[in-house]
Amino acid sequence: MPVGAWQWGDGSAIAGAVRVSLVLTGIAMIVVVLIGTPMALYVARTPSRERIWWQAILLISVLMPPLALGILLTLAFGPHALGTFFARAGIRLTNTPVAFVVTQIYVSIGYYVLGAIAALDSVPAALEVQAGLLGLDRLQTFWRVTFPIARLGFAVALSLAWVRALTEFGAVVITAYYPAGMPVAMWTSLENFGLPAVMPLLVVFLITSLPLPWLAHVLAQRRSARA
Amino acid sequence: MLDARIVKARREFIVDVSLQLPSSEACGLFGVSGAGKSTILACIAGAEEPDAGRIVLDALTLFPPPLPLHLRPIGYLTQDAGLFPHLSVAENVRFGLSNGKREAGDAWVDQLRDRLDLAPFWNEPAQSISGGQARRVALARMLARRPRLVLLDEPFNGLDRHLVRELIVAVAEWQRELGFTLLVVDHDADVLSRLCPRVIAIERGCIVQDGPWEALYARPATELLARLLAPL
Repeated sequence: MPVGAWQWGDGSAIAGAVRVSLVLTGIAMIVVVLIGTPMALYVARTPSRERIWWQAILLISVLMPPLALGILLTLAFGPHALGTFFARAGIRLTNTPVAFVVTQIYVSIGYYVLGAIAALDSVPAALEVQAGLLGLDRLQTFWRVTFPIARLGFAVALSLAWVRALTEFGAVVITAYYPAGMPVAMWTSLENFGLPAVMPLLVVFLITSLPLPWLAHVLAQRRSARA
Repeated sequence: MLDARIVKARREFIVDVSLQLPSSEACGLFGVSGAGKSTILACIAGAEEPDAGRIVLDALTLFPPPLPLHLRPIGYLTQDAGLFPHLSVAENVRFGLSNGKREAGDAWVDQLRDRLDLAPFWNEPAQSISGGQARRVALARMLARRPRLVLLDEPFNGLDRHLVRELIVAVAEWQRELGFTLLVVDHDADVLSRLCPRVIAIERGCIVQDGPWEALYARPATELLARLLAPL
């Protein structure tokens, strides 16, 4: 089907959507790493029965249909639930950048934590024991032994979370229609102006979402091929 | 002085031992595979936590509560060398010296490198060397920190006979020179008797005999022990 001549407009709408997506997804990823890394460390080093429960809870956020997640978040952040509490602190959790970031954290943190747990599982516990007996406390052991060995696994986990958050549409369109990120902007362009208007944004979308996970996966494959 | 009572449930039996080891003494834990010897070492090192008991090294209580690993003046070497694969051989050996142990000095590291013949692969990545080389690097890394208690869990298993002989001589010399207390686990009486004048025999988690090798050979306490000591 011919698309016709691409409509670039004045470019400001595309630039705005790209800025919203990249900046807010970047903030969401920082929070995901700060919360998700200690969480992954805890779950990975916890006895097997408790670990199964934690992983089951994390899987819920991964397996939940995005639209359902968006509706549940809207209910949770609405005036009859957590929304009242946050409103008192001056924070609105619908159609704001905060709502956008919070939704992205919810949809992506499960991917990051489960990936990070798999990365941590690849580090033999005996190495951490040796690092401890060689004088490193637990934090030093993580930075000098665990993380360097598992870093590509962490990169893959982060890249999956990045793609999941950046490309999220179903949940974000309900909790944060404004400010519009790239997926919502593409949808509104498609609805209002058709394919010629959405093509430029589609190209930018692919360029910004694909390279990081692609690179992380290629490096991880190279490393496992060498081992 | 190592003073330990260790109780630890395993699938088939409960490890329940009491042992006292004067400072600078070398002692072997002897018995068949699966007797609980490695569990005892792992509990003292801190790799496993006993279910009950008490472990004191000199005036330092290791358990209970479990003392964090980095505060234990212990070197622990197992069959798996446990080298850090992202570091070079030299970085592995110096690993423990960058944490307030710099005073140990490069001269000591140089001595370890030369005695264990690590120079030919000193700057190689740790993951590229052979199993025997890795075991020597792990020994150097452990001794670089001059631990007060050295725990060796079948450290020479699977190595060439001539290399085992060299390593036994080296460890025995360093033990005399540095004065560390030595506790070695092995099921090879030949290896153990060369390193340790005293032996504690373990069966199904319990001590069945404790004394010099001569007594063990002359009057083994159990039939299994007698079979284990019998020549092939």
